[in-house]
Amino acid sequence: MSAVNVMSGKGIEGSLRRAKIFQQLTLYIPAAVLALLVLAAIFAPFLAPYSPTKTALGQRLIPPFFIEGGSTAHLLGTDTLGRDILSRVIFGARVSLSVSLLVILITSTIGTVLGIIAGYLGGRTGTVLMRVTDVSLAFPAILIAILLAVVLGPSFKTVVLAISILGWAPYARLIRGEALRLREADFVAQARIIGSSPLRIMVRHIFPNIINPLIVIATLSVGLVILTEAALSYLGAGIPPTTPSWGAMVYDGRSLIDTAWWISLFPGMAIGLVVLSGNFLGDWLRDKLDPRLRQL
Amino acid sequence: MSKIILQVEGLHTVFFTRQGVVKAVDGVSFYVREGETFGIVGESGCGKTVTGLSILRLLPEPAGRIVGGKIILDGKNLLELSKKEMREYRGSMISMILQDPMTSLNPVYTIGDQIAESVRLHQNLKDDAVEKEVISALRLLKIPAPEMRLHDYPFQMSGGMRQRVVGAIAMSCHPRLLIADEPTTALDATIQAQYIALFKDVQRQTNVAIVFITHDFGVVAQMCHRVGVMYAGKIVETATTRELFKAPRHPYTSALINSVPRLDRKDNRLYSIEGQPPSMTDLPRGCRFFPRCSVARDVCREQEPGEVDIGGEHSVSCWRVS
Repeated sequence: MSAVNVMSGKGIEGSLRRAKIFQQLTLYIPAAVLALLVLAAIFAPFLAPYSPTKTALGQRLIPPFFIEGGSTAHLLGTDTLGRDILSRVIFGARVSLSVSLLVILITSTIGTVLGIIAGYLGGRTGTVLMRVTDVSLAFPAILIAILLAVVLGPSFKTVVLAISILGWAPYARLIRGEALRLREADFVAQARIIGSSPLRIMVRHIFPNIINPLIVIATLSVGLVILTEAALSYLGAGIPPTTPSWGAMVYDGRSLIDTAWWISLFPGMAIGLVVLSGNFLGDWLRDKLDPRLRQL
Repeated sequence: MSKIILQVEGLHTVFFTRQGVVKAVDGVSFYVREGETFGIVGESGCGKTVTGLSILRLLPEPAGRIVGGKIILDGKNLLELSKKEMREYRGSMISMILQDPMTSLNPVYTIGDQIAESVRLHQNLKDDAVEKEVISALRLLKIPAPEMRLHDYPFQMSGGMRQRVVGAIAMSCHPRLLIADEPTTALDATIQAQYIALFKDVQRQTNVAIVFITHDFGVVAQMCHRVGVMYAGKIVETATTRELFKAPRHPYTSALINSVPRLDRKDNRLYSIEGQPPSMTDLPRGCRFFPRCSVARDVCREQEPGEVDIGGEHSVSCWRVS
């Protein structure tokens, strides 16, 4: 076949179609995965074969069904106290998903507002806000979380508060940089020329132009939040240990990783799935919001 | 003669920098009539753009500040308005066109949205009335098929078309004064000529007064009725365009005109002005043009010349004239 044929209409159409199918797969698969996990979290009591907290010391450390010695009674095996891993993973979705969603909502909102104000208004306000951000970035997050847990007592609310209280700082830093760049943009000057107020410029002209980096760090921080929550649980400053959470499960299995690896692996895979799906959805959303790519 | 719409008197704008106070605009006075185009010409850094931004009170704060003078627009001194009143004036009474059409539109909104924003800011209209205004603004700037183009994003348009959209935003609320800061510099020569013809037409239809900032004498000749030549923060000569080209009185003006290539002369080398404009933090004591002037006298070194009106709307600041 000649080179001309390779570049013929049919070839281009074919590759366009393939690109389109790929693009749709990167939307539907992660969306389906996340939807399944959310549904699993909501309907956990109906889906889980056992209670996540029921211990059975006679059935400790049973491997998953596909390994020798495993049984279909416990599809993903059991942990050191004989609790069913599958049930705990299903129930763990409740804590992990709601904590990460709440924390990301809170931190990204605070970080974005402060970042835009610091970047656009600058001056003394900006300097003060950024010094506060610097302090927040430098402060050991675990320390403040333990402090909060001691003062308020370990609970779901404490965990969300503990991760959020310093978690907004990276957002503020990044968003401020973007706002600083956009402040000098000609279209912002143009907005001033037609008589827009500073508030209007920040909301209507700066904010829509920083959504891309915002989405990227928000989706990337899903994993970080879940792992921080796990670290807090491990230190006893997290959600009380009877409530299953993915992070806590990964930590639980740490010492037995060479013999009973399934204790850590399955909740770890769940975390990985959420993070990966989050990133794919973030990419898709970013493309969707960029008018230059919307046409494709 | 038509009414004077803008009168700038003794405008002083300074920038506070680490090197000291820079007097970017140092006592500039001029006026513009309704339906007239006043050109401000000069080299880079002579204070043209700062003059334009001063009129809109959009200097980069806190470094830049207007420290003296009056800017009277339609009988009101803009320097006495509050920030909020000034915002209401911007867009509705005065507007501005920036140099680079590729960056002066917001990439995330359609051009219709961006024109509509300006309309909504200054007029309390219903959605369909806003759209009517948007279409009429696009039509004024001769953008073909405005009903369809208004749904386009800036990246879908060429540079020339974008600059028309910028013009449409500027004209959308029927301002009395338009400041155009080198609006044709970023355009191709052919598009540039079109744009100038377009703006003359817009001016005929709307009777808007234009302050046209440029460094291009060709553009001045095509576009402006009167011209002010700026050097190191001062207007050194003001005259009607015809008079300025025919009988320039300031040595800087004649030097500038001589350094434009001409088809009707057979010089081998293009004339150029010796030296550099003075540093704005270290101005010469006497006339600012003195170090580069070919006809300078002793008095030029010692004392700054005052502005002399030589009749027929022509005034010059030069010791040779007074």
